Amino acid sequence: MDRNKISKWLKGPAKMGHKYSLSAIYFCTGCGIIEVPPVITARWDAERFGVIPVASPRQANLFLITGYVSLKTLKAIIRTYEQMPDPKYVVGFGSCPINGGMYWDSYNTIKHLDKYIPVDGWIAGCMPRPEAIFIGVTHLWTLIDKDMAKGYVKYREKYESYRKNQEQILGKLEWKPLYPIRRRK
Amino acid sequence: MTLQLILLIGFCGAIITYFAGKILPVLREIFAVAISLLLVGMIVYAYGRYSQEIAQFGFLNFKIVFTLNRLSWLFAIIISSLSALSIIFSLSYMKGKERQDFFYMMMLFVSTSMLGIVFSGTFLQLFIFWEIMSWSTFLLISYSKGKAVKAGLKYITMSIIGSMAMLVAVISLYLKFGTLEISVISQNIDIASLRYLSCIFGLLFLGFGVKAAVVPLHTWLPDAHSEAPSPFSAILSGILIKMGIYGFILMMYMVVGIKIFMTLGVGWMKFHYVFAWLGVISILIPSFIAILQNDAKRLLAWSSVGQIGYIIVGISMGTGLGFLGGTFHIFSHAVFKGLLFLTIASVEYRTRTRDLDQLGGLIKKMPITFLGGLIGVMGLIGIPLTNGFISKWLIYKSLFESNRMFLLLFSLIGTWAAILYGYKILHNVFLGQLPEKYRNMKREPVFMQIPIIILSLTVILSGIFPGIILKLINNIAFSFGLESLNVNMWGVVSETGTLNIRNIFFGILAAIALVSIIFYSAKRSWKVSQDDNYAAGAFVPVEKYNYTVEFYAPLYKMIRKYLKDVIDIFYCWIAGLVDALCNGIRKIYTGDIGTYVGYILFFLAFLIIIYLRG
Amino acid sequence: MIMIIEVVKIIVLPLIALIIGIFLMGLARMITARIHWRYGPPITQPLIDMVKFFDQRGISHGFIFDFGIILSLAGSIVLVLFIPFCKIAPLSNSGGLLVILYLMLITPLGIALSSGASGNPNASIGISRKFMLALGYEVPFILIILTIMKSYNSLSLIDIVNVQQAGTWSIISSLPLFLTGVAYFLILPAILGVRPFDMTTAPQEISSGPKVEYSGKYLALLSIEHALTLYIGLTLFVNLFLGGSANFILFFIKILIVFIIGLFINAVFPRFRIEQALKYLWGIPTLLALAGLILTMII
Repeated sequence: MDRNKISKWLKGPAKMGHKYSLSAIYFCTGCGIIEVPPVITARWDAERFGVIPVASPRQANLFLITGYVSLKTLKAIIRTYEQMPDPKYVVGFGSCPINGGMYWDSYNTIKHLDKYIPVDGWIAGCMPRPEAIFIGVTHLWTLIDKDMAKGYVKYREKYESYRKNQEQILGKLEWKPLYPIRRRK
Repeated sequence: MTLQLILLIGFCGAIITYFAGKILPVLREIFAVAISLLLVGMIVYAYGRYSQEIAQFGFLNFKIVFTLNRLSWLFAIIISSLSALSIIFSLSYMKGKERQDFFYMMMLFVSTSMLGIVFSGTFLQLFIFWEIMSWSTFLLISYSKGKAVKAGLKYITMSIIGSMAMLVAVISLYLKFGTLEISVISQNIDIASLRYLSCIFGLLFLGFGVKAAVVPLHTWLPDAHSEAPSPFSAILSGILIKMGIYGFILMMYMVVGIKIFMTLGVGWMKFHYVFAWLGVISILIPSFIAILQNDAKRLLAWSSVGQIGYIIVGISMGTGLGFLGGTFHIFSHAVFKGLLFLTIASVEYRTRTRDLDQLGGLIKKMPITFLGGLIGVMGLIGIPLTNGFISKWLIYKSLFESNRMFLLLFSLIGTWAAILYGYKILHNVFLGQLPEKYRNMKREPVFMQIPIIILSLTVILSGIFPGIILKLINNIAFSFGLESLNVNMWGVVSETGTLNIRNIFFGILAAIALVSIIFYSAKRSWKVSQDDNYAAGAFVPVEKYNYTVEFYAPLYKMIRKYLKDVIDIFYCWIAGLVDALCNGIRKIYTGDIGTYVGYILFFLAFLIIIYLRG
Repeated sequence: MIMIIEVVKIIVLPLIALIIGIFLMGLARMITARIHWRYGPPITQPLIDMVKFFDQRGISHGFIFDFGIILSLAGSIVLVLFIPFCKIAPLSNSGGLLVILYLMLITPLGIALSSGASGNPNASIGISRKFMLALGYEVPFILIILTIMKSYNSLSLIDIVNVQQAGTWSIISSLPLFLTGVAYFLILPAILGVRPFDMTTAPQEISSGPKVEYSGKYLALLSIEHALTLYIGLTLFVNLFLGGSANFILFFIKILIVFIIGLFINAVFPRFRIEQALKYLWGIPTLLALAGLILTMII
């Protein structure tokens, strides 16, 4: 541990905690499921970065969305994202959630994930290698350090428009709004 | 005069209550509560005035003696206060039910007859009050008809067999000693041989054991407890089964004396060994059967059998510590089991069911009932700072000092079974998801809250300050010639191991305070509803997101096949046999006149033959 | 003056327990990683996790959801005061081993209440498994405690430690105690709730069971409680069988050795199913402990 790091710990322990302890919940649809297990198991060992998979969104602060997002999974993604405690970071993994990828003209997948939930970082590729996840994680560290990974704040501030987008594509949502919505006249 | 007055007020009050109900329902309720509270007041007043009263009137030339000693005062206060609370509870519970006059009358009848038992100074009175208690209990158990009548019949059949055995013992005692006065018999106990006393014990074991529901005689209890009206179940489990224990203590410690009792038995099979092992079997098997139950009251009923086992193990040790533990457990079991039955009753009152598979989430609707249930279960398990812990600790300690390691082992395992069923009842009723149909349920009525709050406070307070009751029991033990222990406000002091609740109390208090400070100084948490729950990303499916059915499924699979109530099956088999026999004999009444004429002719011929022979 | 020293002991002991517990948690993650041929997280990882958890904003399902977790941690802290650490045990004279047996109930009961109130079936399944597992390991555990109580003829843990200090460690002092010591070691992972007995919190089957709805500070308290549980299980073993110690370093080394041997089992075994666990626990460990008790009764 160098001196720089120690002074950072002393200045903002909470931020460092969020940075070095990323409990990941991953939403694997499609081919993303193939890339994540090697990352968390012995070959690439994500635990050395403090990234550890957890089972429930309540315990997680990193949300990995790997692969295409169909309408049905979008519902689950929103639900999971809203259940995660603040602060939370979302990383889109692979080209499908970025712009639809090879499903860009499919009737049932969405093209831009960040219309529905805020995304802090993207890892491009089809599919990205496990190393890319680590690069993504280190980039996320930098973002957290510079207070730029503020997707969850954005979600709170612009909840109305996010909710509107969600309702536009999914129809009426079963759950109550997470934040109070001020209806405009 | 006080004791006779108490009984007179009780019995007359019961009858007045009945007729008051015919005039005005409110009058009846006021009367019932007033009389039960008056009984409590009079018994509190009688504290310290230990005496023996010889009644002015006789009965068939027998003397009628009422005694009050420390033991009977302890029992009397438990009986009167629990029945008063239970009557207060009934005010809400019985609302709108039929035959309420009868119900209140019988409640007072049962509790007064139990007071009669603990006040009686002769065996004859004991027997008479015993019978009054048995029959009025029978009427109350079969109050709600249908299955209840069957349960009541089972109870009364076993009771009658027990009381007949008791009657034989009483007559035999009269023939031997020429008197039925308990104090006189206990002074002259030396003239009886050990073998005779063993026989008497065997007979009385049947009599008292049926009421106390010791294992081979327990089969009436699960049916009766679950079918009786719920406030009465509290009395049944809280105090009525303790009457059997009272009988045992009376015989073991008062009449025979513990020194002689420890030598009683057939050959090497000493009575106290048999007793202790029966107690342990009562703990172990019923506790595991209780895990399997789905009916909340039936579960508690089986657990009552288990808890009675602890009392029996404690008092059969014959040491001061064992007596202290056993008698303290009488008190604590009365309190926490009464509390648990009342909580289940209040749940049943609002939801109309007590099926553990269908309830859930009621904590949001009835928080006070939940707290009552929680404290009751904690007492049942014996979590420190409840009274169940004190009594169990004393019992275990006495087992350890008497060097009965296997008894200790099985009673400890029984406690872990208690955790399983205790949590099951808490979880399935109060925790988990609230079903849709109970969304608009109202809170429990105030008359249900009062007894629950009082009993919960009693569990906690007597768990933190056990000395109040321990001192009383210690004096009883001293008067029975047992070694006196060094009892203080916070527990028991002894060379081989001290119980000090003060340390535990302040330790837990400080720890809870510390953790609360940490907890509440961290960021405040969001309050979310039960619908906002992890369901793998899906929205929580209504009515289907609950885990209550077969709560311990893998364990059930393992133990279910070993846990049939074999004794009940055996008794039912005998009952069927007797039934078949009587049916066979009934066949001789054919209804045809010719057959009857034939019988008469046969009989005459038989007489003539005998006459001619003679 | 004596009063002040006692108070200081009471305050310091849970802290020491917490530090040891967190250290052991970190060590466990590191050594497990090395056994798996991984690099593993830094040893401070549990601490970092805890800092993070305290800063998160969790959710609550009502009062009992909060109260249960407070109760469970309070139970662990009190229990720490009952178990001698280098012969320091401020409260051990207030009831002895029987009280320890009962205080060990508060922690699971608190978690059970709290997670039951969350209204998640995964949590309920986890709790039902936890209680079944407890029933499983308590049978040999009670046998072990009784054997110890019988052979030293004392309820007090501190007396037992003192006798061992004067003579030899109990695990090598006689055959019955050796058998019970082996039995205790065999059920130790079940008491600590680690693999192969982690079906209670199985993440893959029931979404980590009781803690499925925990977040933020709830998880922080839960991991503190886990650290204390580790400490309690290991110190109890060291005090009962390895003679405790008056020396801090020696005591710590004993804990460490037992823990690392346990880790080697933990790191390579898959998870039992609950009925397999019950069969295992009621099999060899119970028989060993029973043999120990019977031998002690005879001798």
